[in-house]
Amino acid sequence: MRKKFNEFNKKMLGFYGFAAFFIIWQFAPVFNLIDTQFIATPTMIIVAAAKIPIDLLIHISTSVQRVVLGYIAAILTAVPLGFLLGGWFPRINKFFSPLFQLLGQINAFSLFPLFILFFGTKELSKFFIIYWSCIWPILFMTTLGVKNVDPLLIKSAKSIGASNLVIFKDVILPGAAKPIFSGLSVGASRAFLMIIAAEMLGSSAGLGWFINNSNHNNIIPRVYVGVLIIAILSYAFNYLIKYIEANVITWKEDVNV
Amino acid sequence: MAAKNKSILEGIKDVFFNSLSVILFFVVWEVGPRLGLLKSTLVSPPSEILVCFIKLITDEKLFSHIEVSLFRSVIGFIIAIIIGIPLGFLLGGWFKTFEKLVEPLLKFLGQFNPFSLFPIFILILGIGEVSKIAMIFWVCLWPVVFNTTTGVKELDPLLIKSGRAMGLGKFKLLTKIVLPGATPYIFNGFKLASSTAFFMLIAAEMMGASKGLGWLVWNAQVNFQIPKLYAGTVLISVLGLIINWLFKIWEKRILVWKEHAIN
Repeated sequence: MRKKFNEFNKKMLGFYGFAAFFIIWQFAPVFNLIDTQFIATPTMIIVAAAKIPIDLLIHISTSVQRVVLGYIAAILTAVPLGFLLGGWFPRINKFFSPLFQLLGQINAFSLFPLFILFFGTKELSKFFIIYWSCIWPILFMTTLGVKNVDPLLIKSAKSIGASNLVIFKDVILPGAAKPIFSGLSVGASRAFLMIIAAEMLGSSAGLGWFINNSNHNNIIPRVYVGVLIIAILSYAFNYLIKYIEANVITWKEDVNV
Repeated sequence: MAAKNKSILEGIKDVFFNSLSVILFFVVWEVGPRLGLLKSTLVSPPSEILVCFIKLITDEKLFSHIEVSLFRSVIGFIIAIIIGIPLGFLLGGWFKTFEKLVEPLLKFLGQFNPFSLFPIFILILGIGEVSKIAMIFWVCLWPVVFNTTTGVKELDPLLIKSGRAMGLGKFKLLTKIVLPGATPYIFNGFKLASSTAFFMLIAAEMMGASKGLGWLVWNAQVNFQIPKLYAGTVLISVLGLIINWLFKIWEKRILVWKEHAIN
């Protein structure tokens, strides 16, 4: 009995850490450790969230829409482009690669004022920020993935008379899948990072705007509500991508033992 | 004729062809607005940007803005390293209970969108320098900690055992085996942190500051001063590139013994 209890305790250590953190957080004001004017306790946060459920949903859906739109657009351009550059036109890839590397290192945020200049403060500038941040990692990883498909596999497929379509579908696509998904992950986290900043600077709805607005109106618990919702959303989005990856890439053995 | 060293002319030719796409990009950028292919109200050609750049240095104290921005990022970065590396080591496996207790919590905290935390930082620390430095610190801390931890964890246990077998004490073990072994990962963390730091700072300055490069660009945008906007953006991008490049070079020099397996 005692042994099982100890084992259980060991596994729960991480949870205990969390629990301790939240308990300390919740009761800190009682001991004057934090000032509730500036730092809301977990209960205050939940209460604040419960008061404005519909507004929250609107903001959440606005932000998520923007992210998903930009992200999917980036995937739809970068993945085919990556395949073309990596597999079919290596010379063109070599030509553009220095330029792309250069552009890819330029942070989307430095370009934000430029995007606002071109596209105004409406949806388009935010779309382009997401689009720009996502497209480079996805493009690079896709190109890399396609280039690194074992040429032996392609030659074997050719030697048994496989058509180009079959080679693409059954050799190149699976071979490049892992790097592509890792690019997708990076893109996803970048997208979420950027959207909040973009909304904070030039928008009238969405979670970033919500946080800023609540801050300006001095309704502090709502700021924390926003922060937590964003954290949960980005975690969920990343998890979704990993889940899709795990279900699509069913043939690779795990590296972990 | 496989000459061992290419002639200088061939070297120049190589560089030229490699950067042809970049050169073409700049040519289009310069010529486009002038020929009316691109709207000249929206796109400033590089020559105009250069002129504006010179004006910024002389009239508007560009260097003081650059100084302020760099100062904020560097301080935040350094504090993050000072706290992050030891913390990363602690989480790497010396104290298993501490690690299991704290690591999930830290992973949770590290995922928080730093932009969303910015208002909170300002709330608690005010509008001055401290809140911006604190934000840079926060943003840099997580890559450094997690990469250091990974570095320690990835260490070949055989190396540690050999060290112990040779009678090394805990301190020597740390400095002679763990530290060099974890250095590639720690450096990776540095690289990530540095690029994130700089651009976070620019974003923070755009949101709430009265000087610095981010403020400069935002101000130009609000006042529709297009050449200044471009000048600032180009400068920020160039600085970011230089920082990345510096870290790559530094990494190459420190990791002299390590083959480029990671890249």
